[in-house]
Amino acid sequence: MSSTPQPSSPMALSKPSFLRKRKSQSLATTMPSAASYLSALSQADARARSHHHPHVRSPSSTPALSISSSLTASSDETAFNEDDDNTDGLSLPARPPTSEQVFSTVHTEFGHCADGRYRLTSAHVAGTEVPAHVEHDPPYYILFSTYISYLILICLGHVRDFVGKRFYPSAYTHLIPKDGYAPLNSDFDSFYTRRLKTRLDECFSQPTTGVAGRTIVLLDRASPDYNHTQYFTGNRTRALNISSYNYLGFAQARGGCADAVEESIKRYGISTCGTRLAGGTSDLHSIGEALVAKFVGMEDALISSMGFATNSTFIPALVGKGCLVISDELNHASIRFGVRLSGANVRMFKHNDMKSLESLLREVISQGQPKTHRPWKKILLIVEGLYSMEGTMVNLPAVMELKKKYKFYLFVDEAHSIGALGPNGRGVADYFGINPRSIDILMGTFTKSFGAAGGYIAGNKQLIDRMRLHGHAGAYAESMTPAVLTQVIASMASIMGLALPPMLPSSSATTLRLSSANSTSMEEEYSHPGPVPPTALPSWLTLPPALASGAEGSNRLRRLAFNSRYLHNGLDKLGFITYGHPSSPIVPLLLFNPGKMNMFHRMMKDRQTPIVVVVVAYPATPLVTSRVRFCVSAAHTKEDVDTVLRACDEIGDILDLKHGVKKSERWGVDEICERAVEIAGM
Amino acid sequence: MNTTSTTLEPALEFLARTLTTAEAAFNKLPGSAVIQRYVKSSHQNDPGRTILELILLIFAIRTLLQSRTRADKNYISFSDKEVDELVDEWTPEPLGQALSPQEQADLAAVPVISGPNGPRPKIASTGKTAVNLASFNFTGLSGSEEIKERAVEILRKYGLGSCGPPGFYGTLDVHMQLERDIADFLGTEASILYSQGFSTISSVIPAFCKRGDIIVADRGVNFAIQKGIQISRSTVRWFDHNDLKSLEEVLESVEKERKKRRGPLTRRFIVTEGVFEKDGAMVDLPKLIDIKFKHKYRLVLDESISFGTVGRTGRGLTELYNVPASKVDMLVGSVANGLNSCGGFCAGSQIVVNHQRINGLSFVFSASMPALLSVAASEGINILRNTPSILATLHENIQVTHAILDRVDCISIPSHPASPIIHIYIKNSKSSLHPSAAITMPVSNKPSNPTSILPKDAASWDWDIPTEEKLLQDVVDEALAQGVLVTKARRLRGQEMVEARPSIRLALTSALTKKETEKAVNVVKHALVKVLGKRR
Ligand SMILES: Cc1ncc(COP(=O)(O)O)c(C=O)c1O
Repeated sequence: MSSTPQPSSPMALSKPSFLRKRKSQSLATTMPSAASYLSALSQADARARSHHHPHVRSPSSTPALSISSSLTASSDETAFNEDDDNTDGLSLPARPPTSEQVFSTVHTEFGHCADGRYRLTSAHVAGTEVPAHVEHDPPYYILFSTYISYLILICLGHVRDFVGKRFYPSAYTHLIPKDGYAPLNSDFDSFYTRRLKTRLDECFSQPTTGVAGRTIVLLDRASPDYNHTQYFTGNRTRALNISSYNYLGFAQARGGCADAVEESIKRYGISTCGTRLAGGTSDLHSIGEALVAKFVGMEDALISSMGFATNSTFIPALVGKGCLVISDELNHASIRFGVRLSGANVRMFKHNDMKSLESLLREVISQGQPKTHRPWKKILLIVEGLYSMEGTMVNLPAVMELKKKYKFYLFVDEAHSIGALGPNGRGVADYFGINPRSIDILMGTFTKSFGAAGGYIAGNKQLIDRMRLHGHAGAYAESMTPAVLTQVIASMASIMGLALPPMLPSSSATTLRLSSANSTSMEEEYSHPGPVPPTALPSWLTLPPALASGAEGSNRLRRLAFNSRYLHNGLDKLGFITYGHPSSPIVPLLLFNPGKMNMFHRMMKDRQTPIVVVVVAYPATPLVTSRVRFCVSAAHTKEDVDTVLRACDEIGDILDLKHGVKKSERWGVDEICERAVEIAGM
Repeated sequence: MNTTSTTLEPALEFLARTLTTAEAAFNKLPGSAVIQRYVKSSHQNDPGRTILELILLIFAIRTLLQSRTRADKNYISFSDKEVDELVDEWTPEPLGQALSPQEQADLAAVPVISGPNGPRPKIASTGKTAVNLASFNFTGLSGSEEIKERAVEILRKYGLGSCGPPGFYGTLDVHMQLERDIADFLGTEASILYSQGFSTISSVIPAFCKRGDIIVADRGVNFAIQKGIQISRSTVRWFDHNDLKSLEEVLESVEKERKKRRGPLTRRFIVTEGVFEKDGAMVDLPKLIDIKFKHKYRLVLDESISFGTVGRTGRGLTELYNVPASKVDMLVGSVANGLNSCGGFCAGSQIVVNHQRINGLSFVFSASMPALLSVAASEGINILRNTPSILATLHENIQVTHAILDRVDCISIPSHPASPIIHIYIKNSKSSLHPSAAITMPVSNKPSNPTSILPKDAASWDWDIPTEEKLLQDVVDEALAQGVLVTKARRLRGQEMVEARPSIRLALTSALTKKETEKAVNVVKHALVKVLGKRR
């Protein structure tokens, strides 16, 4: 982990000097709009920067780019005149921007943060151990009271059922056989839902509106009858959103990606009308797939309209009877779904435990198939890059070692890690500096880092072509819609940055027009993990300069890396028990007692600056390790993470959650906020 | 607190140590991880059950330990060196075989549309436009400017992705609105949205049907239903394709079986489709509903093709037959096909819907659909409600198509006259009819075996799949050369429970006028006659 100071303000649009003078004059005089105001500011900003750091060449400065249409007239207004009042401290930045800083985002969607110190690079330090998944145990009284709580809950539940069935039989009609119909849900099967989950219902399925960006607007609910019913109060609360899988902050209603999506809706309409194999393939699919393949560094890729279905419909095309799937015990439901459909045998190994994996491999290879002892046709190891409930990162270097020796095929589900990890955002392989092509199949979803929907599967061309024909999705599932494809293409391209055409005639300098001319010469120019040749994008797609240059993308990656480590290490320093890899944007904080979940959730939401959190409990986690799971985003500012840390600090004291380190080793929250850069770098 | 914890420390420590030892011992047992996993994720998420299963498991382990010799019979113990040798020797098959030339041709034949899809899209390979009878654009919503405008408006408020599953801040007001719109449109209490149409029913079925439950399903159900049934692990009985008499027989035999075994009352479901994706046949809904009530089964009806296409305003079979939708227990439909957006839904009672919010796998474990697609679907419903003429045009186009194709004698059409998809089979020279309508064939009176999905006449099927596929592809190519885009029905050969007969699948649309449809279908007719005529 190294923190390189970033001289440029992240969202500032910068330009080389030879364009600056001419353009600033013409724009300022001919376009009295907010866009021209912006550009003037940006130039002032760029000038100031080059003045202050004459020796540092900003990596984001690229020739021949200029202000584009990324900001529409209406977005300027929202960007500058936030209409919410700021009592919750969420609408306006804690530190107002100076005249030299220009932000092209809406602060409530994507936080303004120009401080170059709050940046890190997400990469594995060569030669260090990959931290194993350690489960800190809390003091015994916590474990004990947790078990007791569940025991009480279960007993109480049974007592209530017993009494209820006798005195209020009408409330149980749907649970007992009636008119010759077995109940849809027997009372035994639904016990957990009725008696335990209902108590927590206020934490789940909270309806929201608007963008799930840095902040989110909740539609307030209340329950008159202990969560049996809930109604809307009609009020709305804006809250700091540390729960959505918006790792790179691409959940935005404004900006270059949204502009591109709007253009695509106008050009392509809403749907591509049908399945991929039968009349629902659009040229955008081909472009998107080629881009994804480049992004992940594979030969070819296939896009599917749902992330869950990517696993559940393509795994059966990879393995079948006589094959063995070795699966991490904490793998996602979609993987288990796909494996079950495939008909292959399954064996599990202990979560991210390489010893357990190796001994299992030795056993299954030497024993062969059950009963017959025939050798397995193939063995497929399925792991996730980043586990969504634990925050653990797969020990990829060790897996690759084992792969060499045991010759299994490797499938990595990068749903959470793609975009979120690695110096170039290309996932776990990038993080560990491993050649992606040494992995057989990379799968991932667009719902998280890219602010879109759907998923992809990437591998060599032969394999992917096979999936196109034999995966269930190709023949039967609807294809991805143009709007979603465009969001994927635009956000991915802005992470990669565009390779500049060798020579651009100066006449076309006002906007970056990406034409598909001389595509053949450009095609070969991609070298992983480099910028993408502009010809790989649809010809009508224009990205604003900050996105096209990759400056914005790189900034987002570095902000995310900083925020992740800062929150993770900050919570550790405060004394909490957390799980997972310090670089993971998923930070679980252990609560243990089921009663504390509700409390934690409520207390976070009721603060002056409301914060929404995700609490997860059994059955998503083991019974005792109930937890709250934070998902940090590049959209969060350092002050936002401070806010979360301060809230956790206070609530942690009240709820007795600090069991990670001894009191004497804990840090105060003020000190943590002050020494954020140091803490994140630890 | 501290004092209690110190006094209790030794006792607790002992307890913990015993636990750890026990756990370690347990972990050493072969296969314990699987069992552990199974217990944790056993399909019923219930601690009581887990405990019960744990007890069972301990019992099982005891039995296993007692009969160690027998359990070990299959386990060969090797020395480390032997294992190493075995590992060295083992060579896996390649992960994916190369595609055969035929498969490559199939892949190459997939039409790519350049620019927007609609009634006359531009085909990327030729650069020319073609009249589209292949894509699902039944009610022509894909071209609606109104919907596009609304979508852009929503984009500017909500962004694109929802960035979370419905349980964790992914439920948007627009999703709830669409759920309400669908429920109102159909006349059910509630509905639930899934983010992919294809994955909907594969999740709905296992949400309700568990091990030990009974599913009685049509032999012709689509692939997604087959997968849902496979996941559910329920007991399945099959009835003849679209034959309600066979259904009754099967239901009776199931009941007889249960009485004989004196088994407990379990959940029982009939699973079938409104309009079958496989061949466009349509189920007789009123009769089906009668049967279901008579035998006390719940009905899971997949209206993925019929929702948005059948009935005066596109409400589906319930509208066509004037049956209240509330009589269908789980009515599954596709927002993607019917409303030209994406996703699927399951409509039903509040209880049915709420149950899925916790147990519908692809609902719980997947991000909710993008806001703008949800609103596009809501707008689609509005348009269908307010403009019945759209459906009238579609139905007219279907009639016209049948009128033309019915007179071609080298083909047969299994599809119902109201189905928006029309399948075209090659009429075989020997047995000249579709199997389900084969009156000339000597069909044995013995009912087919309900435990097997294979129809009783499967042995007499005499079509040769590769040859027919090839002929049909020639028809498709010929039609495209004449400016009409049609497609073969795409199948997953080798993965389906029953191999479907090769067919060309026309998808009609109200975006074409009657005249245009007539002209395009005539082109298809000529292509059929030309290619199939050559055969003889
Ligand atoms: C590991 C993994 N795979 C797949 C998915 C499913 O992705 P989607 O939400 O896009 O359907 C998820 C999402 O939660 C996931 O965590």
